[in-house]
Amino acid sequence: MKSSVIRALIALVVGGALTLAAFLGAFFWAGVPDFGFVRTAQQTDSVRYQGPFVQDVDEARYLRNFVGYEADITADGTLTEGRITEASEDGVTLETDAGDVTIAAADFDSAQVHGSTYGRPDWGQKIFYFHVPVAEISFIVFGFAAFYSIRFIMTRRREYDTKARVSMEVTLLFVMFTMATGILWTRAAWGVWWMWEPRLTTYFIMTLLVIGYFVLRNAVEDEERRALYAAAFGILAFIDAPISFFITRLIPSNHPVIERGGLEPPMLATFIIAQIGMILLGYAIYQLRMGEVLLRDRIEHAKTLLER
Amino acid sequence: MASASMRQFKAMLRKDVVMELRTKEMLMSMGLYSLLTMVVYFVALSQAGAGFDPRDIAAGLLWLAFIFTSMLGLNRSLVHEKDQGCLEALLLSPVDRPVIYFAKVTGNLLFLLIVEALTIPVFAFLFLQGETIDLRTMALIPLVLVAGSIGIAGVGTLLATMSVNTSGKDFVLAMLFIPLIYPLLLGAVMATGAAIVGTPEALGVFWTGMAWVIGYDVIMLLASYGLYEFIVGA
Amino acid sequence: MGDEPQTTALEVRELTRAFGVRRALDGVSFELPPYAFLSIFGPNGAGKTTLVKVLTTLLNPTSGNAKVLGLDVVADAVEMRKRIGLISHNPLLYPDLTAEENLRFFSEMYDVPDARGRVAELLEAVELDHRRLDLTRTFSRGMLQRLSIARALLHRPEVIFLDEPYSGLDPHAMDILDGLIAQIRHEHTFVMISHDLDKGLELCSHALILARGRIVMYEPREAIDDAAFRETYRSTVGMGVA
Repeated sequence: MKSSVIRALIALVVGGALTLAAFLGAFFWAGVPDFGFVRTAQQTDSVRYQGPFVQDVDEARYLRNFVGYEADITADGTLTEGRITEASEDGVTLETDAGDVTIAAADFDSAQVHGSTYGRPDWGQKIFYFHVPVAEISFIVFGFAAFYSIRFIMTRRREYDTKARVSMEVTLLFVMFTMATGILWTRAAWGVWWMWEPRLTTYFIMTLLVIGYFVLRNAVEDEERRALYAAAFGILAFIDAPISFFITRLIPSNHPVIERGGLEPPMLATFIIAQIGMILLGYAIYQLRMGEVLLRDRIEHAKTLLER
Repeated sequence: MASASMRQFKAMLRKDVVMELRTKEMLMSMGLYSLLTMVVYFVALSQAGAGFDPRDIAAGLLWLAFIFTSMLGLNRSLVHEKDQGCLEALLLSPVDRPVIYFAKVTGNLLFLLIVEALTIPVFAFLFLQGETIDLRTMALIPLVLVAGSIGIAGVGTLLATMSVNTSGKDFVLAMLFIPLIYPLLLGAVMATGAAIVGTPEALGVFWTGMAWVIGYDVIMLLASYGLYEFIVGA
Repeated sequence: MGDEPQTTALEVRELTRAFGVRRALDGVSFELPPYAFLSIFGPNGAGKTTLVKVLTTLLNPTSGNAKVLGLDVVADAVEMRKRIGLISHNPLLYPDLTAEENLRFFSEMYDVPDARGRVAELLEAVELDHRRLDLTRTFSRGMLQRLSIARALLHRPEVIFLDEPYSGLDPHAMDILDGLIAQIRHEHTFVMISHDLDKGLELCSHALILARGRIVMYEPREAIDDAAFRETYRSTVGMGVA
């Protein structure tokens, strides 16, 4: 067997094992990463969260979502600290050191809710361990596709076209994974399947660019022309993607951002294991697909030689 | 050498203009297409309530019309070159490939701007009557139009050069063009919208949008110029 | 550079044009003296068009090299384009320009001196001066082909490439084309792709058969035994695409 195939199989096994380990780690070891919190009313409805957090609430009725949580409520200019035992449209009842206190909604100014261990663990957030590595890899492979496209334009050697094409196929695969995991998370965290939110929008555009690449390839008859056109479009797409990304940031975003040092050691370890595992998986998929394409080429070549 | 290129550039541009003035094929089809879009807009907005302010979405609607009409025109302009193999004749002549690119871009830009300049008053007449519009900020719109159209013509000419050689020309062009032009579109709509709204704060948004459009133009035009030579000869 | 007498009009060395394992041209080498008339025969997909595209600078060779009038097809492409012309089965003319405008446009591209005079002279030569103000859209196939010849001759090229110029022409148009070629036959080098064996052999001074990107036969006209040549040609047609 060729060494590249052996390497690919090793990567497949190791990458698979690491990904599985990360999967187990994410659910049984690492906690939920503390990333950005939701702000709008619609989103607050679906909040289920475990772990330390502080949430500002500016309307009394939203406190219904935080029954059982510790809260500092400012009403009529005075601060009351305690645990929420009851909350409705009319007001909120707090259990404080000095006994129960009821605050009418009309007096309510603002509240800070502190997360405690009482809430349900939010499994939805755990998709982070897979969604982020997959998204990162999709960018990396996209970069490889662009790199091979440039190499092709410079050398006109068919092998680079093949490499660019296979890289783009892997990009498409990872883009699809990212989209799928992203959409699931969006539903769980924001209560909607889709939102025209900068990251999502940019990613959607990138998906379209990758699909466009294959539409273009399929529409060109001549092999060499197809390779040249595809390479040119691959390069343009790769230049276009970051521009799309940055300009879309001008629209206000809800997408969570991990802050520096925001991950506890078990989380970080799980995340890194997931990342390495998926990089290996990506490499394995690329190599195996490449091997298949090259084999096909050799069969084609053998056929033409036989016809001679 | 430079003067030879300039002469060839002018000859190609003149040829495109003469042909267009004779057939009026691109201008007519693009102009009528943008009129048709207005009808579709009316239908799309017909259920909007009384509180609806057309100025909020005017910029988006305008650029939508520009994008779709421009794809129509771009396709036409390259089909002309392809039809009887004229592009091959151009490539056989001692002309630098970038000269062909810039001549085609300039021609397309010219026709695009004419159609856009005609579309805006029609749009304003149909949708913006009775709305308060600040004419001083509206005067900034031509800036966005020119900057935006340069990007559309620049990227579009390269893509159309490819798509005329594919099966399913129109669809392929749209599939490549719209995602690629997305950043420019966003910037242009932002700037145009700000110019229509016309408040002092909007002016800042206008220049932000303009900066994006110009930045996009510079980057993508350079890339397209660099890639054209490889594409056109393929 | 043009003043020294050329010993060869075409000089092709190990010319290969390949993409992956597919080779459109596979190590083609030959030489052609000035003022010769080369006819290239071969089945579809033999590499005839690719060869002419490389020789007219439209495609770059993958390996090997080719010189036309002593100029390299890659390094001296721009200089070379000024000295070659192509008459194709495609007219390569803008249908929405008049005959005169078409020629004037291409004379701008080639920077032809005294363009007005040259265009008038050529229109007369191809017997189209009475239609010079008509759009070429209205022209018949034969008229288009004549105008196409005028276009190719505008800049007084030294080597003229003909890509199946007779295809789609009626007998009358063929006669006119024959006459025009005969007129300029001895002042130019010709390279013609042809499917028509009789026509190709009648005109040529050298004949070349290409199959699967390789030269099957290359002989001067006087060394060719017609019957044997036909037999060789026929055997290649069955060989199919490389």
